[in-house]
Amino acid sequence: MKTVFVSELKPFLDAVAKQMELYVPKETGGHYVYRKYDPSAAEPPVLNNIRICATVKEFLFPMCELAAVFPDPAEPLQVKPFAVFGLKDCDLRSIEILDKVFQEEDFQDPLYIERRRNMFIISSDCWEPAKNCFCNMLDGRPFAEKGFDLNISKVRDGFIIEAGSQKGEYFIGEHSRLFNEVPQNLLSERDKNRARTQKQLEQNNAEFKLDRSIKEIVENSQDSEAFDVEAKGCVECQACTRICPTCHCFYLYDTKQQDYFTKMKMWDSCMRQAYAEIAGGENPRKVLGDRVKHRLMHKFVYFLDRYGIDMCVGCGRCIDTCAGGMDTRTLLKKLNEELKSKKEAKAAK
Amino acid sequence: MTENPYQPINGEIADIIDESPTIKTFVVVPEKPFGFKTGQFVELTLPGEGEAPFTPSSSPAQIDKMDITIMKAGRITGLLHECKTGQRVGIRGPYGNGYPIDDFASREVYIVGGGVGLAPIRSLFLTLVDRIKDFKSVTCRFGAKTPDDFIYKNTLFGAWQKINGVNMKLTVDNANGGWKGNVGVVTTILSADDVDIKNSVAVVCGPPIMMKFTTFKLLEFGFKPKDIYLSMEKNMSCGIGKCGHCMIGKYYVCKDGPVFTYEQIKQYPNIWD
Repeated sequence: MKTVFVSELKPFLDAVAKQMELYVPKETGGHYVYRKYDPSAAEPPVLNNIRICATVKEFLFPMCELAAVFPDPAEPLQVKPFAVFGLKDCDLRSIEILDKVFQEEDFQDPLYIERRRNMFIISSDCWEPAKNCFCNMLDGRPFAEKGFDLNISKVRDGFIIEAGSQKGEYFIGEHSRLFNEVPQNLLSERDKNRARTQKQLEQNNAEFKLDRSIKEIVENSQDSEAFDVEAKGCVECQACTRICPTCHCFYLYDTKQQDYFTKMKMWDSCMRQAYAEIAGGENPRKVLGDRVKHRLMHKFVYFLDRYGIDMCVGCGRCIDTCAGGMDTRTLLKKLNEELKSKKEAKAAK
Repeated sequence: MTENPYQPINGEIADIIDESPTIKTFVVVPEKPFGFKTGQFVELTLPGEGEAPFTPSSSPAQIDKMDITIMKAGRITGLLHECKTGQRVGIRGPYGNGYPIDDFASREVYIVGGGVGLAPIRSLFLTLVDRIKDFKSVTCRFGAKTPDDFIYKNTLFGAWQKINGVNMKLTVDNANGGWKGNVGVVTTILSADDVDIKNSVAVVCGPPIMMKFTTFKLLEFGFKPKDIYLSMEKNMSCGIGKCGHCMIGKYYVCKDGPVFTYEQIKQYPNIWD
């Protein structure tokens, strides 16, 4: 695939924005949010060094959307092409996870598919890991090698732009006057930067090193009390599931309009007490600790069994956001230690 | 163009039958023929109010209308109970796996049902009876709180009892009026001699507590977990294995179920709650 160089981001982003709506990161209050790109804005575009606070799922699976109209069906959803700039490898992996759910063959979600088809993905390398990033524990990396249309790597005096799809390749070809050849040695500089971030990530998470695969640990923790203990800090705000780029629970609700009815699709949270309750009042997960456990099981065991990948990318947003100070890494480490002592006790017998 | 799985088809409630003080059967006529496999379920929408999952209680051979038997248990079912004939409804589905009837062939089918759990069972029963020669026998053990609480009373107390190849026993938790049958929960009319267990499959549908103790009783009789088929009632919402509400372990009840063998789900916590 084509790899090119630019010394400034602005002309490149202006070119993208000419073709489609473009969303870029904006720094605010110590983290990044998305804003619509304005080519005439005074401040220069920023390249986020870490993941943006909001998740990419909001572009593909909005918090609330119209799912159906009846008695007479509405026209199918049509989305104009749009681009998102500043996604990280963890975001791309979260798209891979959502793709499995919403694009699987037997039941496809036309709303998701329409948005996905029209999204132009511009990712970038992480310059430094955030303190709660733990993608390395889930085979992730601070840079993307697939899943993007274009990827940006910051280097000395500029940026390396790499195409990762036909769409990306075409964009570079179409705008060749904007791009230069990658100066010598810059590719090796990129590799060095990547290795440095990777190393820092590993150092940050060294204390959470596990002895077994996360699946094995979680699967064998069905009887652990750690979930109830961990749940003690939880205030049931559901922020972890909202901010999670891979959580995709939703509920359907109906509304009445003037002369028609709608079915809406809205985010839901498995951490909500009545989430699994049925009309008769039965509820398999009345207890908060059971909900914490189910969420972890879903992420690291059930999803893996069904789709072959973990449903967590280690972005650490849930840790950033938790009002109760819950940390997935600490919980995994605790379960790891419990399982270790269980195994040791068994071996000693 | 991808079909929209959230789009209901239009239908109308053509008739309403009072079954018990808390249960009614709604005869729903969809705007176009609607096929399903026995044991599969549909999402029934009350326009503007919401939708809920129900397993049709009619035979799948009938595709121009379907019976949906509903117990008043929550908000939507309460509103449905107030509906009159002519009410417009939406139908999505059918969803889920249904009963694997072909796997039951040449075996004895042992059906244990309770309360409104007889709704899916009625559909299954009618399907089995249609090809009764394919099965060694059909043995039914049904229970209700009181004689009044039995649904499908006319056929249950009459025609169904006389079908060749069908053996049926009923029980009530509390007798009243002229009830001459057994009094006790449904497990009190189960016996290890009812069927040849090695060549039988059991089908259980009813309230969670009844399903739990029936399953334990069947295991005690020597049924293998893989031969006990359970219709699981969970909070199915999307119907297509995505929204997550109905999960039992790795399974989506709406897509992988609602019929599971006990073998499939026994390892997961709180399946009866």
